[in-house]
Amino acid sequence: MFERRQFIKKGALWGGYALGAVALGFPVFSFVGFRKISEKKITFPPDAQHAVANYKDGVFLMSSKDGFSALSAKCPHLGCTVNFDAVSKKFKCPCHGSTFETSGKWISGPARQNLQELPVKKNPNGDIETVIKI
Amino acid sequence: MLFTNKPGNRISAGISSYLPRLGLSALFLCLLSGIVLIFYYRPMGNVFQNVEEITTLVPYGWFFRQLHFASGQLFVILMLIHAVDHFHQKRYRLYPVGQWQRLIFSLCLCFYTLFTGFILKGDKEGLFAARIFMNITGGIPLVGKRLSSLFILPGEDLFFLPYLYHCFFLPILILYLIRTHIRKWFPKHGILYTGAAGLCLYALFVKPFMDIPPDAFAASVKGPWFFLGIQTLLKTFPATLAGIVLPTFFLGCVLVLPSLEKAGGKSGAEKAGLRIISRYLHWLIVLVFFMYALLTLKAAFWGP
Repeated sequence: MFERRQFIKKGALWGGYALGAVALGFPVFSFVGFRKISEKKITFPPDAQHAVANYKDGVFLMSSKDGFSALSAKCPHLGCTVNFDAVSKKFKCPCHGSTFETSGKWISGPARQNLQELPVKKNPNGDIETVIKI
Repeated sequence: MLFTNKPGNRISAGISSYLPRLGLSALFLCLLSGIVLIFYYRPMGNVFQNVEEITTLVPYGWFFRQLHFASGQLFVILMLIHAVDHFHQKRYRLYPVGQWQRLIFSLCLCFYTLFTGFILKGDKEGLFAARIFMNITGGIPLVGKRLSSLFILPGEDLFFLPYLYHCFFLPILILYLIRTHIRKWFPKHGILYTGAAGLCLYALFVKPFMDIPPDAFAASVKGPWFFLGIQTLLKTFPATLAGIVLPTFFLGCVLVLPSLEKAGGKSGAEKAGLRIISRYLHWLIVLVFFMYALLTLKAAFWGP
């Protein structure tokens, strides 16, 4: 009888501790983990659109016969910025060696996903704009 | 080396006794140079430019930066050798289990401090290391995103949390955890002064490594030396397995080993069984450590 009472008392005590930890921990985690997601507009003026791959602030503007497309330079594996090799016309990640086609399609390496395609908009003054989440 | 009559119990009187004292002098210099650097270093804005200014513009900035780098590296390397030496001699049998676990945990914190320092350089390597760390911790099922946000945040504040950890939380926690352990190393002042003089000479005459600007081209980017093995594993294995599961499993084995050795209150047969398991575990840890060291050397010389 005594042991049972002791057990219930201890259980209630530890339950209280756990409840207190959650009640305090949740707001702390929520506060610390909060971040404002913002968007950054990246503009490629006409003189920065001539190459096959034009790089600016984490974005590649790709130009081809069919027009322009924008790719995020962030490797989908672990977030390193990929390089564009103008000779082999491929993207390569300098950290873990994943490779991608000019269209952003995954070829080899641990990434196993394509580079993220971003929307592009051509302004009347010839600038090409794209938006990236940061 | 002096030997006692207990198995595996060797009282260190040679190099095993000098290295930790040398490490202590490195720790003092690291803390002092860190306090100086904190006056100019800013973890916001263009961090790379800030670090370059410390190295090239601020009077004696190059000296304090190099002293901080060299003393930090030396301290952690010597502590690693100290821990490996104790492990090899099976001295964990002599410690209370909790003390061994506390000291191994503090060694892990030392490596994390080096890692945050690597990030805070703000160059291409530091930036990529931060992103890789963030994505690996963020990839842990269920708790990953929340856990990751306790250590590092993406965007403009990328360097802020590693800065807080590097300059405040980690040094205070490490000093607290090792306070009783390092007390007995103090009396030998000669080694402390010799170590300090050697490090100052190193910082005076050896130029800092070249940092790669964040937007510069680099065909291959390497992480800090102690993560080169993991960087190689990440090429083949899933990120959570190579970056979280395998290191945690290894660390768990190191922490649990003394508990197995000291498990009391069992019958003779159970004790014998536990002793066999602990012996196998000991050699498993040695084997994994040796293989990781080889992987690190391979990555250092031939690329990850």
